[in-house]
This record gives sequence, structure tokens and C-alpha cells, in this order.
Amino acid sequence: MSETLLAEFQVIGQRLSKLDAPQKVTGRTVYADDMHIPGLLVGAILRSPHPHARIRSIDTTEAERLPGVAAVIHAGNVTQRRFGYGQDNIPLKTDKVRCIGDEVAAVAAVDDETAKRALELIKVDYEVLPGVFDPFEALSETAPVIHDERVDITGNISMRWDFDHGDVEAAAAEAAVIVEGDYSAPQAAPAPIETHVVIASFDPNGHLTVWSPVHMVFMYRKALADCLGLDWRRITIIQPPVGGSFGGKIDIEAHDFITVMLAQKAGRPVKLAMTREEEFIGARTRQPIHFHMRTGADAEGNLLFRDAEVVSDNGAYNAWGSHAMLVAMNTITSMYRVPNSRIRCAVVYTNKNYGGSVRGFGNPQATFAVEQQMEELADALGMDPMDLRLRNANQTGDITPQGLEITSCGLSECLEIVRRQSRWDERRGKMRQRNRGLGAAAYIHVGGGARIYGSDGCGAMIKIDDSGQVTLITGASEIGQGSETVLAMIVAEEMGVPVSAVAVINSNTDIKPWDVGVHASRTTFVAGNAARMAAKIARDRLLETASAVLGAPADQLRIRDGIVEVIGEPGRSMDYARIVRRRLLHEEGSVVMATAFYDPPTHNQDKEYVGNISASYGFGAHVAEVEVDPETGMVKLLNLWTAHDVGRALNPMTVEGQIEGGTAMGVGLALSEEIVFVDGRVAAPNFHDYGMPTAVDVPRIEVNLVETIDELGPYGAKGIGEGGIIPPPAAIANAIADATGIRPRAYPMRPWKVKHWIDTNERSYVIVSTDRSEKRESN
Amino acid sequence: MANIDVFVPSTLEEAVAFLAHHGDRAIPIAGGTDVMIDTRIGRISPEWLVDLRALSGLSGIEYDANGFRIGALTRIRSIELDQGLRQRSTALVEAARVLGSVQVRTMATIGGNLCHATPSAEMPPALLVHHGIAEIAGPDGIRSIPLGQLFVGPGHTSLEPGEILVRVTCKAANPSSASSAGSCYLRQTVRWAMDLAGVGVAASIEVDEAKVVSGAKLALSAVAPVPLEVDVVSDMLVGKELTPQLTKEVGRVAAEACSPISDVRGTAEYRRQVVAALVPRALYIAWLRATQNWPVGKLAPINGVLSEEE
Repeated sequence: MSETLLAEFQVIGQRLSKLDAPQKVTGRTVYADDMHIPGLLVGAILRSPHPHARIRSIDTTEAERLPGVAAVIHAGNVTQRRFGYGQDNIPLKTDKVRCIGDEVAAVAAVDDETAKRALELIKVDYEVLPGVFDPFEALSETAPVIHDERVDITGNISMRWDFDHGDVEAAAAEAAVIVEGDYSAPQAAPAPIETHVVIASFDPNGHLTVWSPVHMVFMYRKALADCLGLDWRRITIIQPPVGGSFGGKIDIEAHDFITVMLAQKAGRPVKLAMTREEEFIGARTRQPIHFHMRTGADAEGNLLFRDAEVVSDNGAYNAWGSHAMLVAMNTITSMYRVPNSRIRCAVVYTNKNYGGSVRGFGNPQATFAVEQQMEELADALGMDPMDLRLRNANQTGDITPQGLEITSCGLSECLEIVRRQSRWDERRGKMRQRNRGLGAAAYIHVGGGARIYGSDGCGAMIKIDDSGQVTLITGASEIGQGSETVLAMIVAEEMGVPVSAVAVINSNTDIKPWDVGVHASRTTFVAGNAARMAAKIARDRLLETASAVLGAPADQLRIRDGIVEVIGEPGRSMDYARIVRRRLLHEEGSVVMATAFYDPPTHNQDKEYVGNISASYGFGAHVAEVEVDPETGMVKLLNLWTAHDVGRALNPMTVEGQIEGGTAMGVGLALSEEIVFVDGRVAAPNFHDYGMPTAVDVPRIEVNLVETIDELGPYGAKGIGEGGIIPPPAAIANAIADATGIRPRAYPMRPWKVKHWIDTNERSYVIVSTDRSEKRESN
Repeated sequence: MANIDVFVPSTLEEAVAFLAHHGDRAIPIAGGTDVMIDTRIGRISPEWLVDLRALSGLSGIEYDANGFRIGALTRIRSIELDQGLRQRSTALVEAARVLGSVQVRTMATIGGNLCHATPSAEMPPALLVHHGIAEIAGPDGIRSIPLGQLFVGPGHTSLEPGEILVRVTCKAANPSSASSAGSCYLRQTVRWAMDLAGVGVAASIEVDEAKVVSGAKLALSAVAPVPLEVDVVSDMLVGKELTPQLTKEVGRVAAEACSPISDVRGTAEYRRQVVAALVPRALYIAWLRATQNWPVGKLAPINGVLSEEE
């Protein structure tokens, strides 16, 4: 749109509630589990009760005989191929199970009760093997080898992520102060309210339709075809409304394949809905990661190096979690200006449920280490941590050691806002006698897509029909993040129509154009640019017709509320419906449709992990205030101030919603959420013990939006889907340190851990150049 | 959860007869907040649920000069919101307000909370420090026992087949008679709501005109197989003025008296530390209430930390 028309936004910047809000809050949304099709069977999975065992035999005779059972499948009677990075997984396990929850057999039956009964009748003879549950123990030469079939690896190390930039040892020799410590992040769950639900149905021609709340639908389709030997041209994926994902539904999992195999075997459609318990033991989690980290600075507080030894606890197989280091590495090398960095990371198999992709993907974990060390370093230097951060803050124009090109950066402004609002300078370090403390943490995260495939693109189509209705058909998926709303706003803005005139179609792979999928905070940026491009083409076609009909050059036309008028002559006008009809009902008529594909100008990382993977980077800063009860270790979170560089807030209400929701999840990570394992068994697979925060646990979250107007983002916007969740564990740990003087080593910072750290006076090591001979403990 | 039938008795006698006849195969249900979960996860597998909700006279809170009576079918939410109880037994109101969520409290009953006999349950310690007496209906009529004798072990009560808890009677000072008693319930949890107690502590204190302690009771939850009364508190405090030193000593003794386990909600050692921390706070707040040094009707912070306002 010409700049004169864009000078004043009509839609962008408005606080609009999500378009699907009325149906969600009135309970009318039809989720996958609400769906019914004739002949639908219920699927259920028999899961391994052992963390590590050889399968000697499976006897399904009795289950097959049970009236009401339509199919019983196991590795011995299906055709399936391996899947996952390194092809280390298979839907129905063949010779071995490697964690409790591993899929061993499955049934389809007329109802839940029959399916459950049938599972009980399946006899599996296991030879129980010793398991290994601690990644450090799994590194030992005497540890049981979990993937003995993988000849490409040694022991239990599935993969490594090693990075070098500059000379860390030389930098360490120069450093005036070095802090050194261990920081651990637990296994946590995405914990959406809707569990995984899949419906698979073959039509009489053999065409497969799968209804699944997955959000990388095109990759899902390909993976189904590859693993099950199906023709991917004859698979349709339909994404029903998603009842929460937070990354947990990003990828294909064993139960997806199993549902399709059951439908194949039974010759009837099958629905498989996981229970809450299964969700904790048999669906993907956040990757637990352990960091041993050193950070050094000179006497003025200029960062000199960061050095991390990392053990990423992979669980039984490689799912997305094995790649959480992709993002964690960005934070270690590129959060603040760090001239030298070194990472040695082993991703280690253990006999536990395995990690997937969860909002923030590796970043809360790494930030927990990096941002605690920033405050430890500041204290050791006698500097204010905010001054240390500002001195080293990333700035517009920086290119980081990993090649990240920082083209817009509001980090310093974010830090200054939360510093001021929290009255940091007056209060930090001065409230210990009242057991209160302030702590801060900032983050860097991809905000303009994240290139991890050959393309990071998204397609968009615009159609305008004879009513003047504008339809956006987008590759992007709605997962509750509000993409339908923001994309409709972008199209409405670009086409000069009200948001109510825009429909968004986004759920069927037969209809929608290709997209990578929802991940990495990319949808507003990538799908938004694609939608904007398509809308502009469609609008220009309409203007062309209007120009001819109205007899005025296009630059003399303006659009308002779907009406094209000659500037200064309100009588000479026509609406979109008339323009479209004019084209349709004309000799040699034509429809108004436009397509676009946006692929951000980014690069895959090379083998040294260098490459500008995102077209833009998001930044933000949080300050947390806590009160610690030193006798019980209970932590009361009193306040949270947040500031986020969002590029431009296309819809401030939904941006704030993303930040508040992400921050609340981060509070849960910090203080309460953990899947606790005892000998490879999830101790309490339920919401009660898992510890998602309640409204009482989350204080009012102050949200500040910093607009840096990104050059490439749609109207200047950057992705903000994940920012909120990243800083809270680090900020709250720093606040606890300020309140007590001890250093939290791991999250969640449940009361007994805090009490233990207080009782043992837990500190990091600090090495000061004037006294290199001995390590001393920091405050 | 298949094939469970529901019997809805219209009189207490009918309920007792049915339960006596069916023994273990029938389980009484009121709010269902524990029974339904236990059934779903297979902890219990009854053939019959006996729905007590139609029984009259088992719900409600009554006061007299000596204390109060609470019917077994009384909802936890009713206890939480009861203004009379707030003055007579703040501990009970403080325990009620942290049980589950508002939704759960609106369904759950005090009888269910007691008879489920969870070691971490909120109601038992708060009632124990008010000298709770359990009234039990059975095939042979009504019998009364000190509430502490109801609990046998985790999930187990001393109720015989056919017996139903119908009421709990407690002692409490009448607020109109120049009250000189106070009570308090505190707990440690991971979350600040919707959580089971890692440790729960209830305390009650009575004082004479000279502010000398004339009665003291202390009860703990989640640190023993049953709700634990710490009887020695009476010997340690009666006849003395309450001092920080003294309450700390009681905390130390209580921590020794309990027998916690280690589980996902904390280690045994940690739980003993928490008992030692919460007992002095609960005693102190109960004493502040008994001596009218506490705002009437105001509930204490959940962990008893009296932080200064900024």
C-alpha cells in the first residue's frame, strides 16, 4: 500500500479480543475429542511398565477373542519403519523397551471399557534389564547401553553440540573475575488442558484423513507416509481447534502412527485420546539440561568469555528435545556481547520419557545459568547487575559469534524500564533483613522465524468473492496463540476492510498452502508477511478494475471499509463486492485470487553452528521480587515487572496475553513444576503433584511493550510467542539470592531445595585475578 | 469404574443397614471429591456407592456456650465462610480455606475429609486442637469417641462395617463471654493454593486474666501415619507465659515427636525442620488471638510469616 494510505493504521495497533474467544468461553468449540464419525472405534495403547527390558514375546490371542475388539496390533503384525533423528525410534517397539510408557501393543475396540479390558488380556514376556536414569551415570563406561543397535554412536551419547569461538583459555587468563557454578533445569511438561487426541479414517478408496491437533501439519503428513509406507498424496491432515499445545503437539509421536495402523487393521475409523496419566508418561516433555558454566569479565565489567559444559538428559529416544541445544547455544554465545565462548555438550540417553519441544525450547534452561552468572559476576566485581548488563548489552548492528545479525534491539531499553519500575537502585541488596529480594534476567530469542529446514517459509492465498468477503487461506496453524486474529488484522489493514470482513482458513492440508508449522515464535512474522504480500496483490487487482470503471488513475483512489473512492469525490466510488462482480460477470471474466510465499532472508547454521537463522531477534527483561521464608524455604513471588521488545504490537491485547501467559508458565517452571522420576517411573503423573501455578501463585505481571519497528517484520512486528517464559526461572533465582545470600542451583525452587541451599550456604566459586591461587566462594 | 451402582438411603438407619449388609463392597459418598478419584485410579473398587446427601440433620454448624457441632455433611466451603466459626475456631476456618480449590470445597464435606483419613488432611488437626469428639452412627446406635481415635493409618479409620460418622463436637470459647482462647492453622506447601500440606500445624491456646497459659493443644498433619496430637504441649505451656523461647522449645519437641516420611512433597528431615518452624508461629498467633492482640476475624498468612508492610 502506498505510504499515504498507510500513514494512519485502520486496524493495526487496535486492542481486539481473539476472534475465537466467544466460542471458546461459551464452550462451543468442537475439539478433536468432541468429534464423532460413524463406525468410530476407540484406540488404546499398551505401554511398557519397565524402564528397560527386552521383549521376549507378545501373546494377543485372548485380547483378539474379546467381543468388541476390532484390531490388536504389535510389532509382529504391522508394517512400520523407524522414525526420529538418527532413526532411533519406532512406533510399536520391536525387541526392546527403553522407558516406562514405551508403546508395545495397541487395540481398537467398540468402547473404552472393552479397549482397556483387551489391553489387560495382552501378555508380554519381558526380560528386565538394568536401567540408567541419571545422565551423568549414563556417561559411565559401565552404564547399560540403551541403544545398542545404533552403530553410529558410542555408549549413550546420542549426539554432541560443541562450539568454539575465540580463545576461552586466553580470555580466562586475562579475566579480573571469573564465576563458576552448576545450574540444572528439570524435566517439565507442556501440560495443555487437551491431551493428545488423534482420529484416523480411511475412505473406501484408501484415502487417509487424520484429525490431529498437531501444528507442523505438512511434516506430519510426510512423516506418516514415510513411516507407514503410505502415499502422501493420499493423506489429508485436518487440524481441529487445539486445546493448548505449548509445543507439546508440534511433532508426530508414536501414538499418531499407531492410530493410523489401528484404523488400517480394523478397516474402521479409530480415535485415540491419551489420558492425563499417559500425557505425563508417554508424551514429550521439556528437555532437562545441566550446565557447568564459567563466565569471566575484566575489572571494568566487560565480558571476556563464557564456557559451558552441558549434559542434556535426552531420555529414551531423540525427539525435538535432543535439539534444545540449538536455542540454548544461542543464549550461551549471544546473550550480551561475549567475545569468546566454548560449549561442550553431550546429549545423553537415559531410560526415561524423552524431551520434545516446549515453549522457549532450551532457552529458559540456558538463561537460568547465564543470567544467574551475570548477577554473580556483578556482585564479585562490586558492580550493579543492571550496569553490568547495560555495559554488555547487544545493540542494533551487532553480529554475534554464531552469526546472528541483530537488526533491531530494544534490550537496553527493556532493562532500563524494569530497573526503574522495580525501584531496583533503591531496593536491590537492601531488603535481606526482611527476607526480600529483587532479581533480574533478560533474554534473546528468535523473533523472525528460525531456519531449521531448507525453507522457513509460509504460503498465503487471498480470495475475494462476489459478496466482497475476503478469505485468507494461510499455511499457518492456530494453536491458541491468536494467529487467526492477527493474520485477519494484517489482511484487513492491507485491504482496507474491517476485520469482520476477513475469514481465515487454516486447518486442512488439501486446501492450505505449505508452511513449516508453528514453532520458534515465527507465525506472526513469517505467515504475517506472506498474508500481507498476498493481500497487497489482491488489493492492487481490485484497484486496477476500480480504476478502469471509475475512470480515475489508481493513485487517485483510496480505500476505506471495503469501498474504493476517488479522493475528494465521495460520490465516485464502488465497493469490493461490485468490483469483484464486475470482474466475474464480465466477458473473459476472472476471479480475484492472489498467492504469496514468504521465506525470510536467513541461513541454516553451518557445521560450526554459525548462521543467521532468524530474520529478527526478540529481547526482553524481567525483574522479580520475592519474599523467602528461610525456616521453611517457601518462596512468595510478590511482583514481576516485564519489558519486551516486540518490534511493533500489532494487537497489544494479544501481545500482552502472550507475555502474561508465557510469564505465568515461567513462574511455574521457576517454583513448582517438575515431573519427578523415581527409578525411571514418574512418581505422580497428575496435575496435583506436577505443580502448575495457580492464580494465587502468579502475581500481577506488569507488561511493557517496547517497539523497535523491525525492518523486515510485518509492520515492524517480531515474534513474541515464547519471550515471556524465558526469564522467570533466572530472575526468581536471582531474587532468592538477593533475599538470602545463597545461590539456587536448580529449578523448580521447591521449598525443601531452598531450605537445603540455605542450610548448606550454597555458593558459586569466584576466582579473582589478584588471588588466582585459590577459589573462594561468592556471596 | 464400570458397573458401580448407587444406593440413595432416605434415613440414617437405612444407610447404616445397607452399609452393614454390604461391608467392603459399599462405600459412602457425599461430596465425592476423594471417592471419585480413588475409584478412577483403582485405589478402591466398590460395587456400591451409598449417597448420603439425602439424609437430613447431618449438615450444618451449631454453637452453644461450650463450643460448636458440625454435621458430617457440612461442606468445607460453609466452614470457610462461617462467621461464627471464624471467632470460635480460627484454626478450622484457616484449614478450610486452603483445602483444594473453591470448586472442591463447595463439594467436599468435613465428614469425607475425616473418614478418608489422609495423613495430610486439613480438618483433623484443626478439630483435634478443639477437643473434637466424633459421633458415630452404627447398627447398635450412636457412639462417641475422641476424634483422634478415628484415625488408624493412612486411609484407615476405626469405623466398623455399617458405621457412619455423623457429627463432630468441639470445645471453643464463646466470643460473647470475653474470649480468652485462640487457635491457628498453618501449613507448608509447594504452591500457595490447590496443594496438599507438606506439613500442617494446628494450635490452640487458652489464657487466664494474667495472660498465663491455662490450656494448650497442638496437632500436626502429614508427618505421621495419622493426624498427630502432641500432648506434651500442655505440660510445657500451662501455667506459664508464652515466650519465643518456650514456643521454639515446643517446636523442637514436636519435631522429635513426629515420624514423617520422604516423598515427592519433601524429605523426612525437611518436614521435621518445618514442624520446628511452624509450631512456634502457630502457637504465637493462637496466643495473640487469645489475648485479643490480633484483629478479630483476620486470617493468618498461610505459613504464618508476619511480614512487615513496606
